[in-house]
Parts: sequence; structure tokens; C-alpha cells
Amino acid sequence: MTVLTEPSSFDVQAVVDEVWTTFLGGEPLVPVAPDFDPAGTFPGSRWDAAVTVSGAWHGLIVVSVNDAVAHAVTQAMLGLDDGDTAAHEDVVDALGELVNVIGGNIKSLMDGPSKLSLPLVAQAPIQAGGIVETCRLDLAWGSHRVWVTVGTRDEGGTS
Amino acid sequence: MISPSSFGFVADFLLRETAMVCEPGKEYLVEARLLPLARAAGVADVDRYVDLLRTDAVERGRAADALTINETSWFRDLAPYQAFTDVLLPQLLAARQDRRHLEIWSAACSSGQEAYSIAMLLDESLPPGWTYRIHATDVSPTMLERVRAGRYSQVEMNRGMPANRLVKYFTRVGREWEVSADLRRTITTEKINLAAPLPGIGLYDFVLLRNVLIYFDVDVKRDILRRFRARVAPDGFLMLGSTETTLDLDDTWIREAAGRAWVHRPRQPAGVRPATGTATATSPATPSTSHPTRLTTTGA
Amino acid sequence: MHALIIDDSRTMRSILRRIVVDLGFDVTEAGNGQEALTALEDGLEPDLCLIDWNMPLMDGYTFVTRVRADPRWRNITLMMVTTESEHGQIVRALAAGAHEYVIKPFTADAIVEKLELLGLAAQEVPA
Repeated sequence: MTVLTEPSSFDVQAVVDEVWTTFLGGEPLVPVAPDFDPAGTFPGSRWDAAVTVSGAWHGLIVVSVNDAVAHAVTQAMLGLDDGDTAAHEDVVDALGELVNVIGGNIKSLMDGPSKLSLPLVAQAPIQAGGIVETCRLDLAWGSHRVWVTVGTRDEGGTS
Repeated sequence: MISPSSFGFVADFLLRETAMVCEPGKEYLVEARLLPLARAAGVADVDRYVDLLRTDAVERGRAADALTINETSWFRDLAPYQAFTDVLLPQLLAARQDRRHLEIWSAACSSGQEAYSIAMLLDESLPPGWTYRIHATDVSPTMLERVRAGRYSQVEMNRGMPANRLVKYFTRVGREWEVSADLRRTITTEKINLAAPLPGIGLYDFVLLRNVLIYFDVDVKRDILRRFRARVAPDGFLMLGSTETTLDLDDTWIREAAGRAWVHRPRQPAGVRPATGTATATSPATPSTSHPTRLTTTGA
Repeated sequence: MHALIIDDSRTMRSILRRIVVDLGFDVTEAGNGQEALTALEDGLEPDLCLIDWNMPLMDGYTFVTRVRADPRWRNITLMMVTTESEHGQIVRALAAGAHEYVIKPFTADAIVEKLELLGLAAQEVPA
């Protein structure tokens, strides 16, 4: 039997597509050539939303977006009218739920049992010690960029 | 937005290759369905993609699949399935005592939710010693491949699948759910274009032709019903969509109430009655108010 | 009809609220299982609970177990709405007494169809 040590980028892409289009409808996410280092600077204010998975598999799932995408996502998920702007705590909550659902579905790809953490949202890069990036999606949402990274606990090269 | 000439081309080839009617006003939906294919093919927009379709038959097949995808549910509308277990199945069990086998046809089966829903009901309701086959047919080879694979996404599983049946009949395979091998073995598949002569022979005890006729013009509808008439057993049943009827098209059918749904039965020549006809004949159908469900956007 | 929506995300509660309000439900919201249990203790009588799994203070699984252990609440329909989607988790929730299970992400249609299955939303009756 094959034991997966990390989710495939194909599956991660499919999960992200499914969650994104189900909650946000409209414009799909389109893969694009990598043009940004998530650890570096961001064009516009940056939002990171993350969950960790711990148990049979240890992982970190991070969704990174700029301020405009963060507000658009919140607006769509909360069903706000075009004129209404989302409050800061609304953005935190909406991005948290988005990464919660993405993370939960990625957790299900892996052998369990594992537990999903409550989401963490920050206007800054979120990283975790001992976690190495194993999958990164560079996506376009209209004219904006969306990044999803999956990290797996560094097991010292065992597989 | 897709140009009128591109839209006209798409509507023409859909009509020619699948007999589906794609009327003006559906431009937005055609654009939404074809845009991902255009991107996958590496062209800038839907009009360029339609140019590709003019010369590429393989790509036309992909486009036809994308345009005829049915956003479908398990046990869709519930009432037809309740009618099947509560009303039709008891009659069929009585009528098929000698053979102890049921033949069922899911016509225009799309990704197979209807066929597998019926399979689950039969698995739970058929007495020991009985067998059944569900013949699932569609115009799209991609859809038939999906039926054979029996794998469904999370979002598809959420659509009407009772949780107790999900855990009973499905296992998780990666990000998808796979229907049990026992149920898959009861399904056969075949590519059938409803607008062309029907291949094969044999009679079906129960035929599902739901929410399909609405896509054909009236002459094709009449022709389909005539050809299906020859494939439904004299004491069998045809189930159409809840808003569809044969009555204004073809007087060789009788419409009967079955629980909260309607079924159609082949009208027998004068003096001949099916052995098991117990449902009540009723007055002509009232006009439908619902809308077709193909070529719709996904509800969010 | 009254629905109690239990989820630690206000966004998710808002999404679910809009769906069930359209079906004619009144809605009460709770941010975790403990808050929901307190509402029931205080006399709230919902017909339906929509329950997330992972929440602070008390998770949805524990909430279901607690509700099912108390005969006062035997008529409440319990539906998990969660990102937990392993086969074994669904089996556990059903064994604990949940009636239905929806996995996030879901469309509005998915919720409506499940409530139809549960007899809590009217089906469209054919002509």
C-alpha cells in the first residue's frame, strides 16, 4: 500500500477550484506562471489565511491574497451589496472559513486520523517552523493573483 | 461576449450532433461553458475557440460534452424515486415472478446519478434471488466513462445523497467518492443518440427519460416517443421529467398517477389490458411552469 | 420552523442563514456547541440544527452526543455541515445521532435537497 507523504498538486488544485467556484462562483481560478515569491513583498497589502493539520499527516495550508481580493472574497461570501465594504473582522472571518474548507478537504486526501486547527488570519506572511513547502499554486482570479501553498513537516528525508 | 456568428455555429453543430436546441439568449451560458475549454486549448477567447471548433472534430466533441453537462442530483426530485419503490416496484415484482429479473433503462443518463440512485433502491428493496440490470445511455462518451468509473466529487456527493447511503455504498478515493463494485456491476453503458434510430433490441420494464425531451423540437420529440414506445414492455413504465408529458404529442401512451409522480404506460390495442394496471388514469396534463435544467449555471 | 445554526465562522453562519431563511425558517445562531447547548437549556426549541464539527469550547460531534442523550430534544433534526469528510467521520456522526451530513463546500441546492430528504423543505409538486 502506498502511503502518501504529501498531497499532489493536481489534487490540491482540484480542491481549491471546487471550493473557490462553489463559494465565489463567477470567474474561475486559472493557473499562471509563478511570478511572485510568497515569502517576499506583495503588490498591495497582503493577507494570509492558514490552517494546520496534525496527526497521521502534519501540514500547513496557506492562502495568500492582496487586499482587493480579500475584500472581494468577503463581499461574495457574506453576500454584501456592491456598495458595502467589508469590515476588518469580516475579512478575517471570511478568509478563515475559506482556508478552513480548503484545508479540511486537503486533510481528507491524506491518510488519517488527523485534526484540523482553527484558522489563523494575518495581514502578514504566515509560516511555521519545521514545515517545508511541498506544493504551491500560482493562480489568477481576473486581474488578481491568488497563491495557495501546502507545506509538510520535514521528516528528515524519510518517505 | 461570444459573437453572433460563433454562437450560430455552436447552436448549429449542437443541433446536428446531439439534436439539442440552443436558442438565442443562451449566449452567456455558452460562453461560460466554453471559456475554460478555450483556456485549456491556449486561445485568447471564446470566438477564437469556436474558430478552432470549425476544423477540429475532437475539440467539437469536448465542446458538446461541456455544453450538455447536466447539473444533476442523486434521487433528483425525490417523488419519482418514491413512486418507483412504493408503486411501480410492487407491480413489477408481481408481474415478473417467473423471470425474477428487471431490465431498466436510464436514457440520457449524464454522469450516472439517476442510474445509481435506482441501483441503490433495488439493492435495498429487491427480494432475495432477484437480479436487475440498469442500462445507462448517453450521447456523450465522456459521460459514459464517468458512469463506468462511478466516481464523484465532493460537491456532487452533497447533491441529494442521503448520508446513510453515502457511507453504505461509497468509499473515498483521493478527493472523490467511488460507488461500490457491486453496484457498478449492475450497470451497463452504451452511446446512444436519442435523435437517431435506437440500437439493440429487447424490452425494458422501467425506462427513465427525464428532463431530456425539452431540448428537442416537437418533431424529434414525437419521433423519440414513438421509438421508445417499442422498447417499453406492455406492462412496463416510462418516467418523464415532472413537467414533461406525452399527451400532446402521442396518443399511444396513457398517463397515470404513481404516488406524487406521473408515469406513462404503452396504450394497449382495444380489448387488451396490461396484467397489472392498477394506477388511476387521469385528465390531461396542466402546462408546466418549471424550467429546463440543462444549460444552466451552477447554483452557488 | 426554527433553525439553530452552530458554526464558529460568522461567514458560514451568514451563508447558511440566507439559505434557510429563503425556505421560511426563523434562525438563531451560536458560535460553538456550548453556546448552542445553553440556548437549548434556556428553552429554545429549534426544529433543525445545522452543526459545524470543528469549533472552540465544544465541537459539533460532542454537541450531537449531548443532544441525543437528552429526551427533551429528541424531536430536533440534526444535520452536520462540516469540512470533515472522511468516511469514518461521517459514520461516527451518524452513529452519534446526526440525521444528515453535508460536506463543505456546498451549494445552496445541496442544503435545500437535504432538507427535502428530511421533510423540512417542501418538494416541488409536479403538475
